[in-house]
Amino acid sequence: MLVIEQLLRTLPTGIVITGDENTQVFECDGLSVYRQKPLAVVLPQNVRQIKQVLKICKATRTPLVTRGAGTGLAGGAMPVENSIVLGLSKLNKIKSVDVENRLAVVEPGVRNIAISEAVATHGLYYAPDPSSQIACTIGGNVAENSGGVHCLKYGLTVHNVEALKMLTLDGETLILSRQNEGLGLLALMNGSEGLLGIITEITVKLLPKPELARVVMAGFDSVRDCARAVASIIKIGVIPAGLEMMDKFAIEAAEDFARVGYPLDAQALLLCELDGGKVQVQNELDQVLKILSNATTLKVSDNEAQRLDLWRGRKSAFPAVGRLSPDYYCMDGTIARRYLADMLEKITQLSQKYQLRVANVFHAGDGNLHPLILYDANIAGELRRAEAFGMDILKLSVDMNGTITGEHGVGIEKLDAMCHQFNAKELTIFHKIKQIFDPEGLLNPGKAVPELHRCAELGAMHVHRGKLPHPELERF
Amino acid sequence: MGRIAELQQMVRDSEHLHINSDLLDYAGIIEYHPEELIITVKAGTKIFDIQSALAKNGQILPFFIKSNHSSIGATYANGGQDLSDSVLGVKIIDGTGALLNFGAAVMKNVAGYDVARLLVGSKGNLAMIVQISFKVIPKGYFNKPSAPKKHSTPASIQKIEAKLAAVFDPRGIFQ
Repeated sequence: MLVIEQLLRTLPTGIVITGDENTQVFECDGLSVYRQKPLAVVLPQNVRQIKQVLKICKATRTPLVTRGAGTGLAGGAMPVENSIVLGLSKLNKIKSVDVENRLAVVEPGVRNIAISEAVATHGLYYAPDPSSQIACTIGGNVAENSGGVHCLKYGLTVHNVEALKMLTLDGETLILSRQNEGLGLLALMNGSEGLLGIITEITVKLLPKPELARVVMAGFDSVRDCARAVASIIKIGVIPAGLEMMDKFAIEAAEDFARVGYPLDAQALLLCELDGGKVQVQNELDQVLKILSNATTLKVSDNEAQRLDLWRGRKSAFPAVGRLSPDYYCMDGTIARRYLADMLEKITQLSQKYQLRVANVFHAGDGNLHPLILYDANIAGELRRAEAFGMDILKLSVDMNGTITGEHGVGIEKLDAMCHQFNAKELTIFHKIKQIFDPEGLLNPGKAVPELHRCAELGAMHVHRGKLPHPELERF
Repeated sequence: MGRIAELQQMVRDSEHLHINSDLLDYAGIIEYHPEELIITVKAGTKIFDIQSALAKNGQILPFFIKSNHSSIGATYANGGQDLSDSVLGVKIIDGTGALLNFGAAVMKNVAGYDVARLLVGSKGNLAMIVQISFKVIPKGYFNKPSAPKKHSTPASIQKIEAKLAAVFDPRGIFQ
């Protein structure tokens, strides 16, 4: 292979990884049902080496898939056929910390939590906290515009990035800053899933650590009561740092795993975290407790150990559900919050229709749902059933004013669902945006935005509100 | 014909179109659920009309506002990062007259490129903004922002901006 020879010849020993056995761990990301062997994996140590890789890939017209820690859940970092994987895990230096202006300049391979650890002595931290934060990299966070449990109050990755340095396929360096005049290119790069460029440096915002955080746990007889409590808390003017909801199945799974004292008789559980100064937290706590007076169980953390304990159940919900089933499929739709209870009812009906169990974990504060569909890949047809079930949930999300993905990204997984959310003209705009940055189509090709013919083929199978989708496309 | 269809026709029929609020004449709150912290408005809506609707629920637009007599569409088109941080979705008419939706009226959304935030600061040169969804916040959480600093963009980025303009407005009618 010419491209491998050139990479080996150009880069120092140990940077280029070849051979099936050695590249096997790079065949997939966190969505392990989809796999693809790359031609080779390159783990550069500096930007100069990244530029060399770009040059070689461009000259040989070889697709390039950028990868952080590979914790993504949508196949965004899965190699494409005959591609080179550009792993940025060795670019893991925190270059500088500006305590006064609360900024840190970091390389893309720095782990999310490592930023908070590095600035903890200054009483600062980096706010977005995806559940993979001990492993996931900040570069991957930017590529996916990652969220976490504290988004409602502290924002997504896009809100916490001050500037980016990136390389285009031509090796040109672009610096995008919040201070720039003109179009929102910095926002465009956040969540662009490695299709537009290679992010080589990130300036993140840091926040002062809140003086105090307390969590309230409330159990409810019905999901509807729990959803109503969520709406009431927001409506009185409290923005909780975290506001999470779990259904009965998720409560049982989490309690069985973590033994933190979740109420097993409850149909729904709410975790509401309040943070800030002592007076503010007490004030908000009083208001929230008044709203939660109809809860069947109520507990407030009195110290840091209790607070972390109450969170431990929620944070271990995924592995806890994983113990109950050989496989599970995690969805990521977001809906307008007022439809939460309706959505859960529909998911219950779908669970019966598809004969697959589902545990529901919600970021209730921002309407982001993570239904976990349980299946067994070894039973013929179950994976396909789980995928059909998931697709129904995503379509429902779009119909409820929402979106097919709140924080996990489209990757390879939700290409079909994209056809439901966007029409051909909107998708064409996306394709043209990519062509500006990557005219040759070599950066993570085939991900994030479906080709129009893919949507047309899907659309031929169902007619939406009496109209054939994408009537402007030829059909054969 | 609805107002949006009229605007689409106007775009299709024009060789040159300077967008301003008078031209848009498309105003009003489409949807506001205080418990969602989200408001969706027509682009010609005056800022103070939005502010008074929000004030009834103790909420505010969390970004720098130069004049509350301006329309929200103009404020968006000339906005900076502080406004961008509150944008959740837009409906636009592109230079071909097509009505397009990007983003959604929800807090978290990573489907497709973030066109809703890309067009903040587009000054009416890329597309006609007809509807915008914003995140709002309770007054108590608001730190009054100062006017955003804006540094001029280097040539390399201006080149990309020109190409983006051609994507949204291939006939160059909004320039």
